[in-house]
Amino acid sequence: MMFENIPILTILLILPLLGGIIAFFMGERAKLAKMFALAVSAVTLIIATVLMFDFFGLGSGLFGNYQYVEDYTWVSQLGISYILGVDGISMPMVWLTALMSLVAILFSWDITNRTSQYMGLMLILEAGVLGVFMFLDYFLFYVFWEVVLIPMYFLIAIWGGPRRDYASIKFFIFTHVASLVMLLGIFALYFQAAGALGHSTFDMREIASVAGGFDIAFQTIVFGALLFGFITKMPMVPLHTWLPDAHVEAPTAGSVLLAALLLKMGSYGIIRIAMPTLPGAWDINAGAYVVAEFPGLTWMQVIMLTLGIVSMLYGAVMCLAQKDIKKMVAYSSISHMGGVMLAFATFTQIGLAAGVFMMFAHGLITGVLFMMCGVLQHKTGTRMIPRLGGLAAKMPKAATVMMIGFMASLGLPGLVGFVAELGIFTSTFVAFNWLLLLPIMSVALTAAYYIWAMQRVLFGPLTKDIDLEHLHDLSWYEAAPLYILVAFIVGFGLFPSLIMDYITPAVLKVLMGGF
Amino acid sequence: MDYTGLFELAWIIPILPIISFLIVGFLGQKIKGRGGIIAVGLVAAAMVLSLTIAYAALTGGLPEQGYFEQSFNWVVLGSDFTIQMGIYIDAVTALMLIVVSFVATLVVIYSLGYMHDEGDRRRRYFTEISLFVGVMLGLVLANNFLELFIFWELVGLCSYLLIGFWFEKPSAASAAKKAFLVTRVGDVMFLIGLVIIFNLFHSTSYSTIFSPEEIAGVDQTWLMWGVFFMFGGAIGKSAQFPLHDWLPDAMEGPTTVSALIHAATMVKAGVYLVARMFPLLVHAENVMLLIAVIGGVTAFMAATMALNSPNIKRVLAYSTISQLGYMFLALGAGGYMFALGLEEGNEELMVAGSLGFAAGMFHLMNHAFFKALLFLSAGSVIHYVHTEEMAKMGGLRKHMKVTSLVMLIGSLSIAGIVPLSGFWSKDLILETVWEGRLDSIIFLGLYVLAVLTAFMTAFYMFRMWFLTFAGEEGEATKHAAAHHDEHHVDSHGSDEHDHKESHGHHEAPWVMLAPLIVLAILAIGSGFALFIGSGFTSVIYFEIPYTHDAGYWLEKFFWGESSFLTYISLAAAVLGIALAYFTFYKKRVDAPAIASKPAVKPLYNMLLKRYGFTKGYDYVGEKIVYGFSLALDWFDRKIIDGLVNGFSKLIQRSGAGLRRAQTGFVQTYAGVVAGGAVAMMLLLFFLLKLLGIEVHP
Repeated sequence: MMFENIPILTILLILPLLGGIIAFFMGERAKLAKMFALAVSAVTLIIATVLMFDFFGLGSGLFGNYQYVEDYTWVSQLGISYILGVDGISMPMVWLTALMSLVAILFSWDITNRTSQYMGLMLILEAGVLGVFMFLDYFLFYVFWEVVLIPMYFLIAIWGGPRRDYASIKFFIFTHVASLVMLLGIFALYFQAAGALGHSTFDMREIASVAGGFDIAFQTIVFGALLFGFITKMPMVPLHTWLPDAHVEAPTAGSVLLAALLLKMGSYGIIRIAMPTLPGAWDINAGAYVVAEFPGLTWMQVIMLTLGIVSMLYGAVMCLAQKDIKKMVAYSSISHMGGVMLAFATFTQIGLAAGVFMMFAHGLITGVLFMMCGVLQHKTGTRMIPRLGGLAAKMPKAATVMMIGFMASLGLPGLVGFVAELGIFTSTFVAFNWLLLLPIMSVALTAAYYIWAMQRVLFGPLTKDIDLEHLHDLSWYEAAPLYILVAFIVGFGLFPSLIMDYITPAVLKVLMGGF
Repeated sequence: MDYTGLFELAWIIPILPIISFLIVGFLGQKIKGRGGIIAVGLVAAAMVLSLTIAYAALTGGLPEQGYFEQSFNWVVLGSDFTIQMGIYIDAVTALMLIVVSFVATLVVIYSLGYMHDEGDRRRRYFTEISLFVGVMLGLVLANNFLELFIFWELVGLCSYLLIGFWFEKPSAASAAKKAFLVTRVGDVMFLIGLVIIFNLFHSTSYSTIFSPEEIAGVDQTWLMWGVFFMFGGAIGKSAQFPLHDWLPDAMEGPTTVSALIHAATMVKAGVYLVARMFPLLVHAENVMLLIAVIGGVTAFMAATMALNSPNIKRVLAYSTISQLGYMFLALGAGGYMFALGLEEGNEELMVAGSLGFAAGMFHLMNHAFFKALLFLSAGSVIHYVHTEEMAKMGGLRKHMKVTSLVMLIGSLSIAGIVPLSGFWSKDLILETVWEGRLDSIIFLGLYVLAVLTAFMTAFYMFRMWFLTFAGEEGEATKHAAAHHDEHHVDSHGSDEHDHKESHGHHEAPWVMLAPLIVLAILAIGSGFALFIGSGFTSVIYFEIPYTHDAGYWLEKFFWGESSFLTYISLAAAVLGIALAYFTFYKKRVDAPAIASKPAVKPLYNMLLKRYGFTKGYDYVGEKIVYGFSLALDWFDRKIIDGLVNGFSKLIQRSGAGLRRAQTGFVQTYAGVVAGGAVAMMLLLFFLLKLLGIEVHP
């Protein structure tokens, strides 16, 4: 362990936060702000990478425990502490956050409007997401959860498309209302735990240690409140309509971070907080409410698997109808996050592991997809699929990257999405048998919308609807982040155990009811 | 002799073409010839290693247990679910290695000539075809079904990319999409089956799940469903009814791709999968019966569609579907008998079943050679006349002597004329199906279908040959002959084109002819594998080896006990050829007149429309699925989002004024958070009090 006496997680958190504030006030020095933001995010990524290797060196026996924990009491009267820690679930997410922030900043190199503020917000956003993935104290977790909202709101409202006002307000209200319901759940836990413990605390670990003994009705209601907050963020049908609008209006890098990181906060919340803290809501052995007709199935499982399957299929079918390719990619996120939800609903080790792996894989892949939407918009002036066509002849590099992204997203083996998908379906069968036949239809639907979109955008005769003057292949600041992501998509696709080995021991602990 | 050291090198086989994929893919543009030579070199190297290993495996070099295996854990998904990657070599693997690596090498060599005029695009071609060869060899070598599925998907990707090689052509782009999506439907079934098997055995490794103890220890109903769904994958990949309609469209790709991927190797993956699953399948005789029926029906139906197709490549595509149907028929019939024999403890039935397995694999090998030959010959024709319409060809024999001869050999072989390779394997398949009638009357019907298929095969192949090479010269032939003469004069003395002149004025260059000649020799001779040493079936078999000398074979199956079966199959072939001869060469039968008769016309058109499957697929895709998606889109915008917007309008009207949120955002935000939090806390206190829960602040 390299970081025995170094508060490494605090450094990881403070770096982008301070960097962001500094960049925000750089004013007219656009070039400097860009270089500075890139440097800060690069250093953050390097630290996260070193941390991940160091973490791996601890041996898989320790991946289920929190490592590098920093625990300081902050406001003792209210039980607020400053607790940071990572385990096998959050470590890949932390690294993903650092990576996606770097590529998003790189991809934003052509930003000319209020550049320094833009870069500042990107870094603050990174810090916010890192905080969510690392804090083990409900108070600061919630604060950072909300902190994430602000930069994203401004990214859409200032640098967004024509309907940015509508989209940004919608994004804000949806996620904020959901957050408040979640907050309600957190307070319920806080007060109830205070009774059981004899002192007030926001420490997740301490609350989890007693919450399993709470009344089943109480646990179920609180789980429901937390779940409401999380599924709005993921988002699950029918609370999803903010997402396509937000994506369509958001600037490309904003979309990348929104889909790759912000959606993951929702599913992360389920597996980090709701599941291990409140086993009485879902675990038969803990006494959760069981469906009378299907002994072995709890009501919470039924709710979660319904949300998951409906979102998977609904999202996939919606993709087929979309004319705006960015909207299609947005709906595909709903479909894939539905897969995460379904995997979680199985409450098996393979399911939880596949769900977390899907979060990671989807983060990488969706980054490529949204960047490609940005490339199309930039080069052709439109994202409308019917107006495009035959682009592979003019921009072969872009076409290749887009194809790899699409193939990865539809679960082609050898690319990172496959193992996640396989795990999701295997766990679905383990837990629900023939119910597998429903969600697995999404495999065919996903192929259908991607392959069809590819045919209409890349193949066929070159379109005559657009001005081809400016049509050239990827610029360096587009190629670099795309190639980086493609390299990881292939790399982790060929060697999925590099990430999966962190996850499996950690999710086992969640299933055992350990925090 | 101990060959373990040799077998341990098997993982290099798929790596070699993949190295070519990487080199040509990244550096091809800087290499002369755009990487063609590199692809040939590395694919040929893979072939040498494949043949060496296959030779060792087939001549008794395998370990005692009958297979060689090595593997490592690729990824651990959970305590019970580990996915392995590894190598598994047995006789069936060896056979597939020979077929795949050998045909691949010849096709890549041929491509040097065939794709010569594609310029810079050759880089993409050789990149993709190298990847294909690599993953196809990986598919064959896999040691578990999950690994097989991984490569299965990757060969599908290569097929997609290569069908769409000329992607500007809307028809090519559309055909690529269709191939991917239709096979994907099969793959979904494969995945379901895989998940069932994975969950049943907690492993998909052949060596684990094929052990009788393991099989006896699992739920037989689930096992049946597992193999049933996995067979669904084979239906898609091997273009069997009702997922067959993508393969004719796949002819939009370069002819070399049709020869390699859509005739000799990838479409055989489904047959290979069924052969691999045999130890499981023999515990599910219903599925075996289904396989036989699907195979028989497909063989017949595809053959009818080949009868009047105007396009030379389409004829061969239908023929491929039909011949694949034969293989499934053989495997299904043999497997059904074996399954029954296993249940009843009837040794004789098991022997007959095992022979059906061998017959199917035998036909797989023979078909790979003669169908690759036929496709590459067709490619040579298309290369010359620049059309695929047979009506515009005719009279090509004079201009393409070698091509016309090798194509004749291929046609005779597939028609099943003794002693060419197609005869032996087709006859064995028919014998197996005939044998099956004793156990299920269904096989009698399948036998009739199979014999009719043999008749039609001979007819449509020779219709094709006569229309292409015999008779009067068509417009394309004349045009091409004139053009090539001119070209010959123009390019006289130029280094660039000197290789084109080695075979008279018009024949294809030697890089294309040499593979054709090699394949022609195999199309004649590969059937004799039945008699080499102790025979093909003494090495390729399921459970029960069948070791006999040539005399026994001839006596038992061809001109002895069951000689009437042999005469029936030969008669069917000869009749088919004769009918084609009188119709399309002697013109004694007026084909157009018959076709336009009111009684025949609808049938004729139905065949051209492929029994309406093309429209049917389109209807499902465009009308049902897409129509549903449009309806859902409306629902999403108007109802779900409509509710959201309506709700927010309501609040706005009531004076809350959402717009204010934009002015002084941060203050408002802080206020909302703080106010919301306080309100929530109060609400919570109140709720908890109501529920009677003690609260300790």
